Amino acid sequence: MDFTHTWLPFIYLYGLGGILFVAGIIITIKSGSFDLNRHAHKKWMWILLFGFVWYLMLHALMTWAALDIIPVYTVPIVLLGLVAIFIIVTLKLRRVGDA
Amino acid sequence: MQTFHNIGTTTDWIVMVVYFIAIMLFGSYFGRYTKNTSDFFFGGRRFSWWLITMSIVATGVGSHSFVKYSAKGFEHGISSTMTYLNDWFFIPFFMFGWLPIIVYSKIRSIPEYFEKRFSPSARFLATILLLLYMIGYIGIGFLTLGKAVIPMLPEAFTVLGMTLPITLMGAIIVIAVITGIYITFGGQTAVIFTDLLQGFILLFAGLLLFFFGITYLGGFDMFWNLLPTEWKLPMADFNQPANFNFVGIFWQDAIAGSIGFLFMNQGLIMRFMACKNVNEGRKAAAVNILFVLPISAIVVGNAGWIGKAISVVNPDIVSPSVSPDQIFVVVANIIASPGMFGFIMAALTAALMSTVDTLINATAAIFINDVYRPVQQFVKRNVMTDRDKKELRAARYASIGVTALGVLAVLAFKNFPTVYEAHGYFHSTLTPPLVVGIFLGVFWKRFTPAAVITTFVGGVALMILGARYPGLLIAPFDHGIEMDPDHPYSYIRALYNTLVCMGAAVLVTITTQWQRNICSMIRENQNQKLIMRILVTVILLVYSVVLFNILGLTVQIASAIGVLILVPITVTYYVKYDEKVNTNGLTAGSINIARNLFKGGEPNDQEGETVFVQLKQVDGEDSVVQFSTKDMAIMKAEIGDLVYISDKRKWMGGLKSIHAVFGQPHDEEGMVYITPDQIKHGMFVDGKMLEAEKEM
Repeated sequence: MDFTHTWLPFIYLYGLGGILFVAGIIITIKSGSFDLNRHAHKKWMWILLFGFVWYLMLHALMTWAALDIIPVYTVPIVLLGLVAIFIIVTLKLRRVGDA
Repeated sequence: MQTFHNIGTTTDWIVMVVYFIAIMLFGSYFGRYTKNTSDFFFGGRRFSWWLITMSIVATGVGSHSFVKYSAKGFEHGISSTMTYLNDWFFIPFFMFGWLPIIVYSKIRSIPEYFEKRFSPSARFLATILLLLYMIGYIGIGFLTLGKAVIPMLPEAFTVLGMTLPITLMGAIIVIAVITGIYITFGGQTAVIFTDLLQGFILLFAGLLLFFFGITYLGGFDMFWNLLPTEWKLPMADFNQPANFNFVGIFWQDAIAGSIGFLFMNQGLIMRFMACKNVNEGRKAAAVNILFVLPISAIVVGNAGWIGKAISVVNPDIVSPSVSPDQIFVVVANIIASPGMFGFIMAALTAALMSTVDTLINATAAIFINDVYRPVQQFVKRNVMTDRDKKELRAARYASIGVTALGVLAVLAFKNFPTVYEAHGYFHSTLTPPLVVGIFLGVFWKRFTPAAVITTFVGGVALMILGARYPGLLIAPFDHGIEMDPDHPYSYIRALYNTLVCMGAAVLVTITTQWQRNICSMIRENQNQKLIMRILVTVILLVYSVVLFNILGLTVQIASAIGVLILVPITVTYYVKYDEKVNTNGLTAGSINIARNLFKGGEPNDQEGETVFVQLKQVDGEDSVVQFSTKDMAIMKAEIGDLVYISDKRKWMGGLKSIHAVFGQPHDEEGMVYITPDQIKHGMFVDGKMLEAEKEM
């Protein structure tokens, strides 16, 4: 398979998208609206970073499965593992939500 | 291309009719919770995140519909999921920028933000652009609905000996009438609850279809192995073909589409505004994008993948030449039994109706807020005593008018080969000016009215030139995508359009001092009024050159540059703008001020616990409730803090709830003193336990 159909879109998506994502976090922190001194916002930082890794893994796993590098059944198993990690960590971080 | 009619049986039609009657009755039941325009449009800012999440499913999946993703799934495979899986990048900007601003600033529509942040003239232009966007979106929704039901209808029917052909536009008009009736009498609360039900049903129906399809093919391994490798990849080829390539769709959907959907889709914004607080809105957005969208991507695209697999095994059953926009209906009919096919089709059409309903409701909200009220104030006919009744009536009429305009908008899109391309072109073309305006308005304090108006006027002029000369102006940004002469650069034009709007915005902002200096010089001149009249006339003339395609490219580009230079000077001269006042609480850097303004005092961010209380009816001020000293201590609340009280039953999702302010405490632990009006507004039942939490 051509690189232009396999990994180039992936690199473009998470390269450029990643820059925008990190810029969003930095800008909102610098503006003071995303305040990591507040416990609830720390929880949101975890969710934001998890979300980025979640989608990056999702696309990487689907690409590997399409190229027969891993069995297709690995995709849902790894994703369910990630969901479990997400639920456990988020519940641990859970506090009474702020307004 | 092979097209179909008369698909389905009588049983399917009976199932569909029963489904629609049930949904309309369900919506009408919740329509009784609509008492004023706030309820009609925003559902009263009271709902829990899970309810809004599921409600967004129906709206989101409806708009990014079964029809268009099944079409792309059939043509290109699993990469049809691309557009569902690229929305996370802008979420920090949304969660900690735009969402708190729209809630805390108490704006009711996006144009209203433009007036508060910039000027009434910016609001006027934003209203025009946003109405075009929303009505176009409704048109796309109706087009998709029409294409979904046409395969089920006969080619013609006979009434009193006359044979009447069934056309796409005819079907759309009938659908529009049904949709209009429902939304006109329901309102936002009805839409939210109907969407909640439909969200579950359509996820179930889509996954059921996938299960049937896999079973039909003989198991998942068989299905997977039938697909060629390029069909299994999650993303399209980088820059080919012209009608479905990664980079074009990245700019059209991941950038313009995502910001457009999160930041300027009034329908979606209203859903978030219906959440009980900002944190619930964040939860709704996170759960929806992280977990619901990947499932939805399978739900909406799988019919195309199954269709492709069947066409590989047996082209006689599903021909590779089937019209892509009909593949969903064709596959559903093959793999589902009679009755079940009717149920799946009902879920599909109901999902599409949800989207259209939401958009009509949202567009009516913009009309009331940004056209009706300003006009009423202008003609001074605004009688305060029955204002809300009049506005509610006007909102219902607006819904009808918007529905009619949406049907007309179909004409602009119906000649695209597929709904997907029509939607892509639409997003690429209409979102960039507003997206840039909102985005820079929120995150760049220095962004001025002159800059935003020039973005709307000058940016659009450059976009028109791009559309007229794509081979010259858009080609440098095409990333190697081949230009289709019939529909040139349907997706990658989003990059060009965003760049020219962004360029106009940035250039004008960083040259603000020059504009002020020029305006000072004009003001010092005795003939300043004459100079400004000449300036405005020149702007109109050069803009006409671009708009009406007068003279050649060089002159038109020079005219667009003239617009970019003259408009900011004119706006700076006429518009009164105080950066400190106009950005207060309206930019990401001043969200704490926005919270102060929202509360009317310093927010109390101490993290307390919720309490469960019984209500006790007392007479008093309707904005205030009273808790015991002990309960207030548990909530870590002070007098004057904001409180949210809801029925304890979580499954109600906040339907029965109110917002109020903590008043003087009393000594009756486990009791909240509440006025008859509050009980009525919250629909609380005496004897039922209430849950209370401090907001801020």
